[in-house]
This record gives sequence, structure tokens and C-alpha cells, in this order.
Amino acid sequence: MLDILLPILIFSALALAAIGALRRIRLWRQGRPSPVPIAKGLAAMPRRYLVDLHHVVARDKYISNTHVATAGGFVAAAVLMILVHGLGLGASQGLGGVLGWLLLAASACMFVGSLFVAKRRRNPPPRLSKGPWMRLPKSLMAFSLGVFVITLPSVGALPADLGSWIVALVLAGVVAWGLAEMVFGMTWGGPMKHAFAGALHLAFHRRPERFSTQEGGPGRSTGLKALDLDDERAPLGVETPKDFTWNQLLGFDACVQCGRCEAACPAFAAGQPLNPKKLIQDMVVGMVGGSDGHYAGSPYPAPEGGYKPIGEHGGDPHGPIVARQGVALVDAETLWSCTTCRACVEECPMMIEHVDAIVDMRRFLTLERGNTPNKGGEVLDNLIATDNPGGFDPGSRLNWAADQNLALMADRKEADVLLWLGDGAFDMRNQRTLRALVKVLRAADVDFAVLGNEERDSGDVARRLGDEATFQRLAKRNIATLSQYRFKHIVTCDPHSFHVLKNEYGALGGHYSVFHHSTYIADLFDGGRLHLKTWKGGRVTYHDPCYLGRYNGEYEAPRRVLQALGIEVKEMTRSGYRSRCCGGGGGAPITDVPGKRRIPDMRMEDVSETGAELVAVGCPQCTAMLEGVVDASAEVRDIAELVAEGLNEDPDPGRATRRAQPSEEVMTL
Amino acid sequence: MAFDALLEPIQIGKQTIRNRVVSTAHAEVHATDGGMTTERYVKYYEEKAKGGCGLSICGGSSVVSIDSPQAWWSSVNLSTDRIIPHFQNLADAVHKHGGKIMIQITHMGRRSRWDGYDWPVLLSPSGIREPVHRSTCKTIEEEEIWRIVGDFAQAARRAKEGGLDGVELSAVHQHLIDQFWSPRVNKRTDQWGGSFENRMRFGMEVLKAVCAEVGDDFVVGMRICGDEFHPDGLTHEDMKQIAAYYDATGQVDFFGVIGSGCDTHNSLANVIPNMSYPPEPFLHLAAGIKEVVSVPVIHAQNIKDPNQAQRILEGGYVDMVGMTRAHIADPHLIAKVKMGQVDQIKQCVGANYCIDRQYQGLDVLCIQNAATSREYMGLPHIIDKSEGAKRKVVVVGGGPGGMEAARVAAERGHAVTLFEAEQQLGGQITLAAKAPQRDQIAGITRWYQLELTRLKVDLRLATCADEATIQDLRPDIVILATGGQPFLSQVAEWGAEEGLIVSSWDILGGKVEPGKNVLVYDTICEFSGVSVADYLADKGAKVEIVTDDVKPGAAVGGTNFPTFYRSLYEKEVIMTSDLALHKVYREGDSLVAVLENEYTGTQEERVTDQIVVENGVRPDEALYYALKDQSRNHGQVDLEALYAIRPQPCLASLDEEQEDGFLLFRLGDCTAQRNIHAAIYDALRLCKDF
Repeated sequence: MLDILLPILIFSALALAAIGALRRIRLWRQGRPSPVPIAKGLAAMPRRYLVDLHHVVARDKYISNTHVATAGGFVAAAVLMILVHGLGLGASQGLGGVLGWLLLAASACMFVGSLFVAKRRRNPPPRLSKGPWMRLPKSLMAFSLGVFVITLPSVGALPADLGSWIVALVLAGVVAWGLAEMVFGMTWGGPMKHAFAGALHLAFHRRPERFSTQEGGPGRSTGLKALDLDDERAPLGVETPKDFTWNQLLGFDACVQCGRCEAACPAFAAGQPLNPKKLIQDMVVGMVGGSDGHYAGSPYPAPEGGYKPIGEHGGDPHGPIVARQGVALVDAETLWSCTTCRACVEECPMMIEHVDAIVDMRRFLTLERGNTPNKGGEVLDNLIATDNPGGFDPGSRLNWAADQNLALMADRKEADVLLWLGDGAFDMRNQRTLRALVKVLRAADVDFAVLGNEERDSGDVARRLGDEATFQRLAKRNIATLSQYRFKHIVTCDPHSFHVLKNEYGALGGHYSVFHHSTYIADLFDGGRLHLKTWKGGRVTYHDPCYLGRYNGEYEAPRRVLQALGIEVKEMTRSGYRSRCCGGGGGAPITDVPGKRRIPDMRMEDVSETGAELVAVGCPQCTAMLEGVVDASAEVRDIAELVAEGLNEDPDPGRATRRAQPSEEVMTL
Repeated sequence: MAFDALLEPIQIGKQTIRNRVVSTAHAEVHATDGGMTTERYVKYYEEKAKGGCGLSICGGSSVVSIDSPQAWWSSVNLSTDRIIPHFQNLADAVHKHGGKIMIQITHMGRRSRWDGYDWPVLLSPSGIREPVHRSTCKTIEEEEIWRIVGDFAQAARRAKEGGLDGVELSAVHQHLIDQFWSPRVNKRTDQWGGSFENRMRFGMEVLKAVCAEVGDDFVVGMRICGDEFHPDGLTHEDMKQIAAYYDATGQVDFFGVIGSGCDTHNSLANVIPNMSYPPEPFLHLAAGIKEVVSVPVIHAQNIKDPNQAQRILEGGYVDMVGMTRAHIADPHLIAKVKMGQVDQIKQCVGANYCIDRQYQGLDVLCIQNAATSREYMGLPHIIDKSEGAKRKVVVVGGGPGGMEAARVAAERGHAVTLFEAEQQLGGQITLAAKAPQRDQIAGITRWYQLELTRLKVDLRLATCADEATIQDLRPDIVILATGGQPFLSQVAEWGAEEGLIVSSWDILGGKVEPGKNVLVYDTICEFSGVSVADYLADKGAKVEIVTDDVKPGAAVGGTNFPTFYRSLYEKEVIMTSDLALHKVYREGDSLVAVLENEYTGTQEERVTDQIVVENGVRPDEALYYALKDQSRNHGQVDLEALYAIRPQPCLASLDEEQEDGFLLFRLGDCTAQRNIHAAIYDALRLCKDF
């Protein structure tokens, strides 16, 4: 009887899945077009899965091994099952016998995996969503166990129909349950949806550059996509779910609700009303239409304490995500809580781009509604009026350096290094860093010049606050200024300027070799151009700036510089790609959404756990945020300051000869 | 940005100054070797540049000619090419830290002393005597005028060749240029006197000669007065006319403006306003000059606080602020502003210890900062943390010496406990601040209070430390700064035992109510006597202050006694000199003071209801002698090491485990009565090596 039932079950599940898939694809296609190379994407998918995705999943060894067993077992079992039980290649002799044994092995493997899934679900960490996900281990076991048993006759281990049609019927039911979850549920919105949407998301990802390739190391793509401001039909940002591109919607649909983003999100930890996982689920709700009542994970924290209630928000593909009045899909304060630190993106095993989505929605709020909260409007007005967010006299950018005799690009026209000052030039704290950096560059005989008052804000803040128009205006003017001069590299102590100049000006025609000062200083040291004394102070830790680390993958150079100073860095638990944001990115201090705690306070607690007396940083924003912490246990110093202090100004005789070399070379020319 | 106006660069002539803060010209009394800017001088200015000061105008009253004597005030001598290499050292030191440095140049005319060194005949437009220096002079001749004009040009050349950034011509304080300006002093009828143009001529010739010599790329400024405050002197309107006249030449790159002339004791006190003055009392005069000139105007006079400076600059009254005494008190003022450490700035309190020493020909020192102008000796403004062992330091006494010792030891990284018997820190500063117009001296204590709190010193106020308390703490180092008590027992006939007299501390401290008819007898003639007299008069008492010295307040310096005198005369306090208090006796409800003339022995009596005696401080030595024999060093200080700013040799013994006990040192008035500076200096030079 099973040989009649099983093909029916299998093929009807596959047919239903195919219908479900079409329906799902239709949901995604509500989004705006975004051309992708279909065949190339599909071809790249296995590598993206096995290398890039696995790289992220493997950070949690338990679940990574579990997933290999369960998913690997399932994929193999599903294919073999179609062959053995669907197409009847299950004759106990010959190839069929081998297939049967293989199917047994695959389903056994899947079963073992599902036991570990079940174990994880017995007392799940709070970041995991509950709801339908709680039944998944049972479904996995039903599928694997059912398939295992029904395959035993195929290898002759048991009689056909297992000796009794009742047993066979029960087993067929178990298998049907398994098939329903695993195949039908995959496209109709069950937990297994992640496999279907996730695989396609990998193939049709909006940022194919972020994946590694066989030719080179890990790829990286973190710059926001530019809006086409001249296209009158294109919406300014995202108002409704259908304003996302189709592959963004696909990405949201891939979410496996593992909550790694939630565990990493600094705003969530601070009790601000943001949970990246919930946000992605809300986007799915919007795409499908309905309310968030079925959401079974941690809600958005409520600033007054506790969580915002579930079931009050909802939407549809054509309705606004943020209501003008009352509630819609999400509240504006959720979007403005994000520091754009990318901790969520870094942790997401499904390669979802939360931050880009948030900025897309902010763009609409800022550009179409003019609703940038708190100081946001003022900062954007300042940027429009004075080209800097503080509203300072644009002619005063170089005031701090009146005693530095800095060479101006306007006079020099050319230099090896263009030192980009950033808006920290208006800030007394950052001026100390800049002075230190100037001292270091001079000590290494670097030929550098500055734009001085010709420099404008890089546009970072405007862009993260959603004011794409101001960003593009600033960027284009900076690009026009830069185009007048010749230089080999841009060096800056501001990771935000660094990121924008390096990764976001390209789309507007500005292509430069940009260095963060820590990288440049590390290179100078390696090239024997800096002579440093040994550090005499106390214990030091290092805070990775998000826009240097996660955005640009530079974790090593700052540590190399500290090592060159003889500092042994006492690492924080959250460091490197898991560094916790200082709270200063993405305009978060400007929009200033209240929470239960302040993000920098939490970061300084991380610092204090290491027992460090000093935290080295490499970002003006981090410096400002961390120094703003009351009664902090550690001093905050920029890497440039530490190097400037550690300069051996009484160099050994060896240095004189080293320094003499270039001039000899010049003379032989 | 909070201090944007203060930190905004400014162009003066061809020079860019990094911020709006100037250390204006003052006589440092540091130039040695015949008026050369040697090491001490260089380090003093280097420290200001290091601390962020935008522009230093050094060398107040630096002379251009050999008949304007420099040696009395160890001022800088620009009358010889020998100065040039010294200027190069000075310029390099300041430029290294991004600062700019100019020098004031002058011929002082009649304003100096003739009775020494080359015994010059002093010069003045009409030979009229100057009262402050009691200086007589000859009437200047045409040949001498032209020689001096040439001397100015040569001096400016030397400044330029030495790498300085500019010169400031002094036409203030009644130097030769403004002696010509002033009809009160200039009675000439030739082309150098009489009409406005004639009186301006000498200054104009100097300006022309200097500018012709140094060219366009060297700053030439002028310091002038905003109003001489003499009935027959130059008024504010006159000064506006003068400023506009010189400005019209286009050759003056900046004007420095000072309120008040200064050729009498009373007007001199205005020039460097002490703590009795309000903030920036003469800003309006500088602002008036700014109205009529086209170049930057600098104004200094009681601008001590960066917020005040920011407010003045934001208001646009002047272009740059002179914060000269503010920098003497804390040469790192700007650095602290930039570091967001405004609370840590040691603010000038206007005690005028600096300028009062200068007028006596003594080197300029700060009452509350012993490191200032001792940078060359290695005394630090920023105390480095010790690399050695962390010690337990106990300081007894929260007066200036004790507070400084606690601060320095804490900056060195030691665990410091400070005992103070009173409810608050300050010691005698607290008493001094009770007198009218003297409250700002408490600023010294306020800074220490903030610093000691920041440095987490264990402050035990209202706690008397005895031998047992100290030993319980098992200290490595004990510093006694317990001060002393009023010395009323010196003359038995004064009747202190019988309660016939009270001390100035009793009155100022509020222990004894002021009487109605009070005699203050002051043998010390420092601030204490005049302060208590002023305090009593302020409370409505009829007061006579008597001294056996040459005059009441004789030891109060030149910029401070006038403000006391103004106050005392206004309140009809009788000031009597040359009488010693012989004896006091009671007669009914009254007290009779028997006074004896110092020179004739004649006795006279005063019937009063209260007699206040100021006879200085008797050191409190009890605790010292109780601890002395238990200490490793028997309380002795190695003077050679102390004076040479070297570590005390006995500190090494703390590293030897076998020896027991603590090191014991005494500071301030518990050794012998001296002053605030002495206590702080000893504390700094002793404790900086702990």
C-alpha cells in the first residue's frame, strides 16, 4: 500500500509546494524591480551557502553541526525519497538497494540532527522565536523517522508494508506530517520557508559583492545604494512594503528568526524600541498583509520599561509602514533607534540587510515627510546652510590648526597624502586627535596637505538620517574639490568619512585610495618610518569602531599599531566583528530615542570588565560617546594620540641614516 | 562650541595668531647677564606656548637705549646686538609649540631710577619729576630725540633678526612716547610740544623709523592708555583722537589698550587691578578705541576666566584678550580649556603678589603657583605620576602648604589623607578672605578643594590629628602644616592673659564681636593689619590703626596698599605710625592703650573699648616635637637637595624594608611665619619627588 500512497503523498506535496512557491514569488514581486543575473546567481548559490553563510553559522558550533546534520540529511533524504519512494527506484537489489541504504543513512543523519534541534528547543535562549518554531523538531523527527522506517522494506530489512497496512497507514500519516512541514510548509509560510527563501536570497542577493569568490578573499559591500534623485517616478525612500526592491522582500522572507541580530543589537540591549528580528518580521507581515499578532519572539522594548504589546501593529503591501498618525506596521522611533552599527547584519546567517532597509525607510520619513526627530531637522538644516552638522562657520574648519602651518591643497595642488579632517575639526576633543595625527605624519616625513576650508562634511550623517539629497550634494561638491588636486591617498582619523569616501562616493564618480589613520600609521611603522618608545602606562583595551571594523573589515591595523607601542591589548568580550557600538553612529545621538540605558554606558562597562585603565579608539564619534560616560573607569584616547605620545623624538643614530636614504635616492635621480 | 570666540585665530599684520589670548607685556624681572633673555626667561615663555597661549608679548618696558636703565627691573636690553642670539632661543622655544612671541620696546624717559648702574641722567620732554619712582630728570634735547628714534629702529631690527614675530611700542604707563603726548608732562613750545601734531611727533617719528627698518612682514603694534584718569591728563576722547591719528598711517598692526595712567601710586593700582576691582573694569575704554581704529585691539585688565574672555570676545568689545596674570597663575589655561578641564584651571585671584614683587625689583612669582617662572629649575606645572612605590602620606593642616603638599603627593599617585581642624580647608586664607574686598583670595582654597576632591584625597575636616591618629594610619610620610596661633604673649604688659586684647584672627574669624571704638595695633604691616582695620570700620567701628613701623600697611605692595588706603580713608580710619604699644590697662568699662613714640619715647594714651593686636603667628610645634624622634629623618629637611630641587635623600630609606617609621617634614607657618607662596613653594619642591 505504501508504494501507492507514498508517490501520491510526495508528488502532491511537491505540487502544493510549487503552487506555494508561485504565490510566494508573487508576494516578492510586489517589490520594485531590481535586475539580477538569474543564472549566475543560481550558479553562485552553492558557494555562497557553503562558504559565506556557513562562515556565519559556524560561529555557533552547536547549531552549525546540528544544521549540517539536519539540513544535509533532509536535502539528501528528500532527493532520495523522490527517487526511491516517488519514482519507485526502491527495488531492494541493484542501484535501488544502494539508494535505499543511502536514504536510510540520510534520514538517520537528519534524525540525529533533529534530536539536537529538539534539545536546543527544550530551553531555548530568549533570542529564539517560539510559536511554530517549537514544533519544528517534532516535524523534523516525524519526517526523518517516518522516512527511515518506510525505507527499511526497500533494503529488505522489513517486509513490505511493514507487515500491516495499519502500521503502514500510520507511518504514511507520519510521513505526510513531515512532508507537510518540510515541503509544503517551505513555500506556504511555515518555519521551513527559510530554506526556500534563503536559498533564493543567496542567489539573488542585492549585494552580490559581499560574497567571497574563488579568486579572492571575502568580499565586502557596505555602502548604501544611492537613490536616483532625477527619476521622478522612483519613490524617495520606502513608504510602503512594496517600495522595497523585490529581492529585499525576498531577503526579509528568508529570516529564520534565530535572533542573533537581537542579541547583538545595542539599541535593543539599551531598551530602545528596536529589535532587528521583529523589524524584519514586520516587513514580512507588511508584504503578506495582516497584523503582527502571530509574532512569537521578543517584541520591541518600550522606553518606559517592558515591551511594546504585540498585535496592535499591522499593515499591507500598499499601506504606509509608518503611520502619519496612530500606528501602522512600525513606529518611527523604531527606525530612528538604529545606530547603523551593522552588528545585526554581521550576525545574520541569512545575509539579510537590516540597516539598508532602515535607511530606505528613513529616507522616506526625511525626504517626503520632513519628519527627522529631535535634533535631526536642525542638523540637516545646518548641513544645508553651513556644510557641517554643527552649524559652524564653514571658514573656521582650520581654526584649530592656526599654529600647525598645514600645507593647503589650494596652494600645493599636489601631495602624497590628502589629510581629510572631518567635522571633528570643529570639536575641541577631536582637535587633539588631529594635532596628534599631524605630529605623527610629520615625524614620519609624510608629504601631506589638507583641503582646509574647502573641505565639507562627508555626508555620512545626512545619508544615515535619510537625507539622500543633502548627502549627494555634499558628496558631489567634495568630489569636485578633490578632482582639482593630485594625491595618492586620502588619510583620515574619522571612520565615517573613511567609509563614505572609500565606499559611497564611487557611485557618484569619486574613486580614491582611502586609509584610516590606524592603517596608515601601521604601514608607516612597518616601513620603518616611525620610531616608538615602549608604552609605560597601565592596562589597555581597544574598541573597534563599527565603520572601521564591521563596515570595512579593518580589525588588525589598530592592534598592530598598539602592539608597535608595546601595548598588549586586553580584549573585551565583544570585540572585533562582535564589537559593541558606542551608540554614536547613524545619527542616533541626534535623533536621540530614549531607552532604559545609554549604549555608551554599556560599552564602558565592557571596557571596565577588562580592568583596562585606558581604552584606545580610532573614531571621533566613539571618543565623544565614550568620554561622555559619567564616572568611567578608563581614559579614552585615540590611537593617534597614543602614537604621538610614544614618538621617540630623540631618535637613535640609525634613524638619521634611514632618513638620509631617500635624499640620496633623489640625488642619484 | 563653547569657547569658539576665544579659540578663533586672528591675523595681526602678516602673522596668524592661533587664538585670541595674549600674555601681555609685563616686566618679568627675569632677564640676566645684562638684560639677555636667558634660560629662565625662555622656559617661562615656552611654558605659556606649550599651554596654548596664542600670543605672548614679552619684556614689559624692554629698553632700546642705554640711558633707559634696564638693570633695576632686570628688563630686556635691546640696545645691543648681543641680544639677537638670545632672542633666537626664545623665538624657537615659543614657535616650537605653535605660539607667537613679540616684545614690548620702549624708552622710559623719566620713569625709572637714576641712582645706580650707569647713573644716567633721565630724560623727559620738560624735565618734570615723576612721583612713583621719585625720579628727577632733564629736559630732552633735539639730538637726544633723534638718537632715541634711531635706537627704537635698531631695537626693532634686533627683535626681527632674533626671530621674534613683532614689537609693541610702549606708549603707556608714562614712558617717553606718551610723556610727549601728555600736556601735563610736555610743556615744550618747539616742534615737539604744544599742538596735537607736535605732541604726536616723537611717537610718529619712532613709528616711521621702526617700520622703515623692519618692513611690512614684521608686526609693529602700539600699547596705549584708554584714559589717564588725571584731571589734567589725557582723556578718553584724547586717546581716541591719538589712536585714530596713528591708525591712519596704516603702519600700526595692533593696539593694546590699558585703562588708567600710572605715574602716581593711586593710578598705578588701576593698571593692574587687584581683587578689589570688578571684572574687566576698563573694557569700555578699549572698546572705545576699537571704535576708531582699523586694526585689532588687545585689552588686558582683570580678565581671568575663560568664560569671561569668551563673553568679551563674543560681544565684540575687543579682538583679543590679555590674560596675563591668568597665565602667571596657570600657563596651561588654554590647554585646559581645550581639554574640557576648565574646572582645573588655577585662576588668578588678583592678589598681585606678582606685580608687587616686580615693583620692588624682585622676580615675578605667583602667590599660588610656585612652578611659574621656576620652570628652568625643573619645577613642574604638571606633576607626573611616580613610577616608584605607592606611599601612604598623611598631611596635617589644610592651609596653603598642607593643601599643596596633599595635591602634589596625590598627583604623584600616593594615598593621601589630610587632616584639618576647621570645618573647611584654607587655614589663614579663610581669615584673610573675611576682610572687605579681599574675598577673592579664597579662590586659592577653592581650586585646592576642587583638585583634592578630583584627586580623591581623603579629606578629614573638623578633625584634629594627634600622635595616635597619625600612627594608626601607618604612614610612610607625615607632613605637618599645622600653622600657628596669634602671637599675643610676646609682651606681657599687653595683657593678653587678662583678656585685655584680642587678635586679628578673633575679629576676622568672628569669634569676637567688633567693638565701637577700636584701636588696631599692627607690628607686621602686611595685609592682616589693614584688613582687620578695614573689616572693623566696615562693621561701623571707629578705628585707629597704629604701628611702630613707618606707616600702616608698609609691607603691602604698590598695587595693593592704594586700594586699602582708599577704603580706610573713606571710612575715616585714623592711620598712625611710629607708635609702639607699651601697655594696656582697664579703666572702668574702657581699655586704655599706652603708646610710646618710637623716636622720642613720649607716651600717649588712647581710651577704647577694644584693642586688636596683630603681631604675627607663633608656630604650633607641639605635634612636631611629639613625632620628631619617632621619624626616620628626625624631621630634618636636606636643604641642599631642597634648594636644588632634588629629591630628599631620606626618601630612599622608604624602599628599605628593615627600617621602621615614617619620614617627617614641616611646612609653612608651623616652622616660622612666612607667606602663602613660601608655604606652597616648599610643599611643591619637597613633595614633587615623593
